[in-house]
Amino acid sequence: MRVNYQTNVTVQFQVLTDDQRQEIFRAALHVLEHTGIEVHNDEALAVLKAQGAWVDGTRARIPSYLVRRALASAPSSFTVYSREGNPDKNITIGPNCINYGPGPTCPNFRDPRTGERRKYMRRDARDVARVCDLLPNIDFVESLGTVSDVTIDLADVYEFAEMIANTGKPIVAWSYTIDTCRDIHQIAAAVAGGEAALRERPNYIFYAEPLSPLTSSQEAMDKLLYCSKHRIPIVYTPCPMCGGTAPTTSAGILVTAMCECLHGLVIAQAISPGTPFVMGGVVSIMDMLSAAFAYGAPELSLQSAALTEMARYVGLPMWSTAGVTDSKLVDEQAGIEGAVQILFAGLSGANLVHDVGMIESAMTGDLQMMTMSNEIIGYVKRILRGIEVTPETLATEVISEVGPGGNFLATEHTLAHFKDQFWFPTLMDRSCWAEWEAAGSLSMGDRVQVQINDVLDTHEPVPLGPEAQKQIDEILAKAEARYRT
Amino acid sequence: MSDALVQISNAVIEGRVKDIPSLTNTALSSGLTAKDILDKGLMPGMDVIGAEFKKGKKFVPEVLLSARTMQASLGILKPLLAQAGEKMAGKIIIGTVQGDLHDIGKSLVGMMLEGAGFEVKDLGRNVPPEKFVDAVKKEKPNIVAMSALLTTTMRSMGHTMTALKEAGLREMVKIMIGGAPVTVDFAKQIGADGYAANAPAASELAKKFINSN
Repeated sequence: MRVNYQTNVTVQFQVLTDDQRQEIFRAALHVLEHTGIEVHNDEALAVLKAQGAWVDGTRARIPSYLVRRALASAPSSFTVYSREGNPDKNITIGPNCINYGPGPTCPNFRDPRTGERRKYMRRDARDVARVCDLLPNIDFVESLGTVSDVTIDLADVYEFAEMIANTGKPIVAWSYTIDTCRDIHQIAAAVAGGEAALRERPNYIFYAEPLSPLTSSQEAMDKLLYCSKHRIPIVYTPCPMCGGTAPTTSAGILVTAMCECLHGLVIAQAISPGTPFVMGGVVSIMDMLSAAFAYGAPELSLQSAALTEMARYVGLPMWSTAGVTDSKLVDEQAGIEGAVQILFAGLSGANLVHDVGMIESAMTGDLQMMTMSNEIIGYVKRILRGIEVTPETLATEVISEVGPGGNFLATEHTLAHFKDQFWFPTLMDRSCWAEWEAAGSLSMGDRVQVQINDVLDTHEPVPLGPEAQKQIDEILAKAEARYRT
Repeated sequence: MSDALVQISNAVIEGRVKDIPSLTNTALSSGLTAKDILDKGLMPGMDVIGAEFKKGKKFVPEVLLSARTMQASLGILKPLLAQAGEKMAGKIIIGTVQGDLHDIGKSLVGMMLEGAGFEVKDLGRNVPPEKFVDAVKKEKPNIVAMSALLTTTMRSMGHTMTALKEAGLREMVKIMIGGAPVTVDFAKQIGADGYAANAPAASELAKKFINSN
């Protein structure tokens, strides 16, 4: 028998040591206690004060024992369910389980048929949801945009209504205000078959943001409070940039990002112990020439991976970022930035990796980027699977059979394993020149477009029941009426 | 060009905030006027920085440091300029509109405008239309600059325009807007006079507004 033997089940990857993670955590606790957070919300301040935080006007200083208490009750895993009741479409948020999906709120969209860059429309939410529904490596759904051709204050509700009707995969929602947050929750409940059913098997996660550095606005806190009370899984994460809204050094942004998440956690757990809470953020740098948030920067991948380790260290699920380029096109830059991000997000084991499918520094949603990224994710997942070392995989028997100068093509061993061992590309091309030319000399972009056209032309998602759709229409009508008064 | 002025220009270029007060006072003692120091010492230094920034040789933090250096000197010069009846390049009111707490871009624009020789009154964040109106009445600026980062708060820009019109102040000022979701089309839509995509462009636009008057 073999003893004292360790194997890697998957590829191992580590940015920080445990000692470094501890230091970063202690620094975050220190900042929460000594510098504190600006909380522009009376109810949230009252919750913090009642818990034992030191509240001075809008400044809340949070003693470390409150953070530890909150971490103790927060779940490190939970499930979000497909509205279709199809367990393959459920998402497990659990340590080291990776899930990828798009992101929200780009003002623009690249028309998937014409290639035109234009304002994002209601029908785009439909199309994006449908494409997400089919792409095998997209696990959750966001719209990639903000709807511009509906009542402007209700863009968030219309977007959610379109998405939930066009995909069976869980949705990550956002809202402008507490009112539309409620509308969205009602829609989700209608689809789930009631509030109780929704609470048992949530079909969406809600997303809100603190403001960097170290601030929470009235509206963001309203939403956090609402989600906590209703036990809606919430992602409460910042988008800081080193050198601008966070320290220039990576360890520093990890500290501020943790503070920005953890103060939200303390409030959420105080209201509703055990309510699912996801930490993380879009942690990059400020480009020092353009002053813009640099999505494609290598620092984003490095810092996101480190923040993922911090999340795991404190026992919280992680919201990470990948598949988003600063390029204005789905070109070489987009390929490089997207691939590196997707690889590192996967290696780090982040639980929800979002923004897949954005270009132009998240100003434009692009199905080409998302579809190409779906292929990259498949490619990366094969690498992440690692290498299994067993007598079977060491293959000494078949090596002996085949012998020097032989070939392995038709052996039982090859037949038994090749379909499982090899990754089969859908979009990457390996054909010889003559074949490639005969097939039309298609570029990667061309092949991506063919796949998009195919999905848009043929894929029909499982429809909502007529009762659910009716309720959704009523919720939208009520929201319109409320807006008019 | 006197040696004192060259030293001041260089201090601005190199961002030597600590040295500039004594260099400024020395220059004043040597008989140079505040206006001379501003036009022939500080501004040429900022012009060099601006050119280097455009070429990608200097970066935002360095530009800000130079702007702060210039501001440190202006702190000494302003009362003297006022005494002599001298004016800055123009007066600008800037703020992030109602409902919006994002201010890093706005602060950057403000500092660039100061570096270009403008007097800038920063109203801060979450500025309601009434506050813009009051500031225009009180400060009588040439330009009002509004910033927003969210598509929802962009609408506060329109509300502010309306408030200025209703107060009879619209014609007194040039209005420029900016921020990530803001576009030139939106600027036209709400009747603003201009849009700038970034801080250097805002500076150029401000100069254009002043020169066209």
